[in-house]
Amino acid sequence: MTTLSAKRVAPWALLTPFLVVFAIFTAWPLAWSLWLSLHQSYGPGVSTYVGVGNYSSMLADPLFWLSLKNTTLYTLGSVFIQLPLALGLAMLLEMPGLRGRGVIRLVLFSPSLVGVVFAAMLFGIIFEKRTGLLNQLLNGAFGVSLDTPWLSTYILWALILASLWMYVGFNMVYFSAALQNVRRELVEAATVDGAGPVDRFVHVVLPAIRPVASFVVLLSIIGSLQLFELPYLMLDVAGKPNDDGKTLIMYLYTRGFDLGDLGYASAVGWVLGLVLIGVTVVERLIARNEAEGSA
Amino acid sequence: MAIGAQAEGRWAGRDSGALSFGAWLIVLVALASSAAILAAPSRKSGDVVMWASSTEHATIYRPIFERWNAQSTPELGTVDLRLMSLPSLQRRMLGSFLSQTDSSDLMEVERKVAGLAFLGPIESVGFADLTDRLKAEGLMEQINKASFSPWTSRGRIFGLPHDVHAVMLGYRADIVEAAGIDVSKIETWDDFERVMGPLIERGETGKPPRFLLNMAGNNGDHLELLILQAGGGVFDDAGRVVIDSPVNAKVLATVARWCVGPDRIAEDAPNFAASGNKLKADGYVLTSFFPDWMGAIWAKEIAPLSGKMKLMPLPAWEKGGRRTSVWGGTMLGIPRTAAKTPSDFDRRWTLAKNLYLSRDQAIGLWRMGGIVSPVRACWSDSAYDEPNAYFSGQAVGRMYINLAERIPMRSSSPYNTEALARVVKALTDLCEDAKRSAPLPQSELERLATIRLKSAAAQVNELLNRNEFLKVGAGVSP
Repeated sequence: MTTLSAKRVAPWALLTPFLVVFAIFTAWPLAWSLWLSLHQSYGPGVSTYVGVGNYSSMLADPLFWLSLKNTTLYTLGSVFIQLPLALGLAMLLEMPGLRGRGVIRLVLFSPSLVGVVFAAMLFGIIFEKRTGLLNQLLNGAFGVSLDTPWLSTYILWALILASLWMYVGFNMVYFSAALQNVRRELVEAATVDGAGPVDRFVHVVLPAIRPVASFVVLLSIIGSLQLFELPYLMLDVAGKPNDDGKTLIMYLYTRGFDLGDLGYASAVGWVLGLVLIGVTVVERLIARNEAEGSA
Repeated sequence: MAIGAQAEGRWAGRDSGALSFGAWLIVLVALASSAAILAAPSRKSGDVVMWASSTEHATIYRPIFERWNAQSTPELGTVDLRLMSLPSLQRRMLGSFLSQTDSSDLMEVERKVAGLAFLGPIESVGFADLTDRLKAEGLMEQINKASFSPWTSRGRIFGLPHDVHAVMLGYRADIVEAAGIDVSKIETWDDFERVMGPLIERGETGKPPRFLLNMAGNNGDHLELLILQAGGGVFDDAGRVVIDSPVNAKVLATVARWCVGPDRIAEDAPNFAASGNKLKADGYVLTSFFPDWMGAIWAKEIAPLSGKMKLMPLPAWEKGGRRTSVWGGTMLGIPRTAAKTPSDFDRRWTLAKNLYLSRDQAIGLWRMGGIVSPVRACWSDSAYDEPNAYFSGQAVGRMYINLAERIPMRSSSPYNTEALARVVKALTDLCEDAKRSAPLPQSELERLATIRLKSAAAQVNELLNRNEFLKVGAGVSP
């Protein structure tokens, strides 16, 4: 084999295992799920072409819209409550002269070392009516009813609170790393120029951490839109009371694996995929425009 | 040296020479580990593999299988019981049925899982049709008729029933009897409210709160058993959606009144949870629904209530009405892929009958799990007459057997769980209506319930109409 042909063949030879695995386990299932989303399939060898029937049925189903609404609200809660809190904690931890920084960081980060299953079961018990720790505390402190239904009427708040516990510390680490890379001389120069803490944050710190912040926001949105284990398991503790905590992935799971309607579930998956692509594109465009604007 | 030149040098080296020591090491490790995996002995498997998800059932089956394996002939083979979680069993079953690939030789599944097998055309059901064999061997007459209903689709039976699961009402005899209440005077749910009413404590007098019934307005199992007891349901015998029936509306209205408002009589003390067990032990709720399997669970989890509990038949919805209902259920099926030849089927069938229909198994099931067998010939056994210490010496086995033939028929529709979820949603919405405009009279609650149920029925019909095979004719009657 000549050196030239070896140069051409070798990369492909090295890529082949990956390409084979990718084709079998990613490309083929994707194509198959697209085909499936255009069919109704019940039982072995039984499928009927329905065109966009699955998609139109889905758009006409109030449960789909409820699931989308719940997922969107949870996502907004994650982005607008969780991330500012994570950034605030990171800034506190980066304050000069803070003692026990490492220990505090470990304590705040440690919930993300706990598995989602364990956390969901834990919060399922904490949010119980009457015997749950939260209601006991709120009742003792403020006289709030012991029967406050966190796992039904207020399930979205319960999910947001549980995810705060799990992910604030995790996101805080990203922000901490970004804050450590903010050039200190810029902050000092702004201080010398008379900028207060707010001005320094808005005009110096924020632009410097924007790439990381943008990445964390994107991860948070994608993760939130894929929310499944936490509500699925938390609601299981309470016996899956109703649809108040149903998310898009739970809706997909129910249709695909509880009702065996794999074509419909594939259609939900494709819609979710398109939503994720749309969100990512919009977020990237906004980030790029801001970067160009500040340049 | 530039990166490109470095890479070029490496490729050139590769062309000219042998693999480096490190590369050889990686190849050797890969070959050795592959050989080790291939040489490792595979898990010893019995001739007949059975999948199950209930740990309690497995505890009962293991000694039976040990005996079977010791006495079995080569024709009948040995048995290998594989226990897995219910969701895992559901996914594996669905996966194997949809792809028509081999799964197990016998499969024990709960009602919610079994329904999924009935999604497609009748000839594509993943379980072997047992109807003709049951009839030929006279088993239809030997087994409690209603116990077949969850495993019957479009007139064909696909599973041997494991249980009856009649439901009674368990009550705190220590509190109720100390208050001088005679539960024999309770025949209907109206009687129940009237006779037990004085025991309610809503916390206004400083005493710990106490409610009459353990029930949550969002518990589908509780709601279904009440609906079935009243003669309602979510699907009729032909598989049509009957969610918005007047009977269902009446039950929903009554349950909403029980669960909401200042005059509520029911509160939730969740089953299978430490928090709920504490509430029950504290006397927060005086009565709970008791299918036969629940007694063993309470005896294990709420031992302090031993000797303080008693059972009574469920109060009926009207005088002379049904005093029981049904909650839960399991079947044993033979996957079609495991019964390709008549001899394959016969081997599995012999084992299935031995496991589910023998007297030994029935008595073991009762003694260990408190579960009454659906085999009527076993009901005469004296084991069912033994006093139960947990239930203050009552012969609870006999009490359940006396109700067994009165349990309602159930739908086997794969959409049953989802339909029930829509009914639960209707109930929670109705409870919100009741909260906003309390107190509403029963007639107004029934009117609002009907509106909510019509909406639920429309959603389930939409679901059902998507499936060509189940639009009509998904019957439940054997």
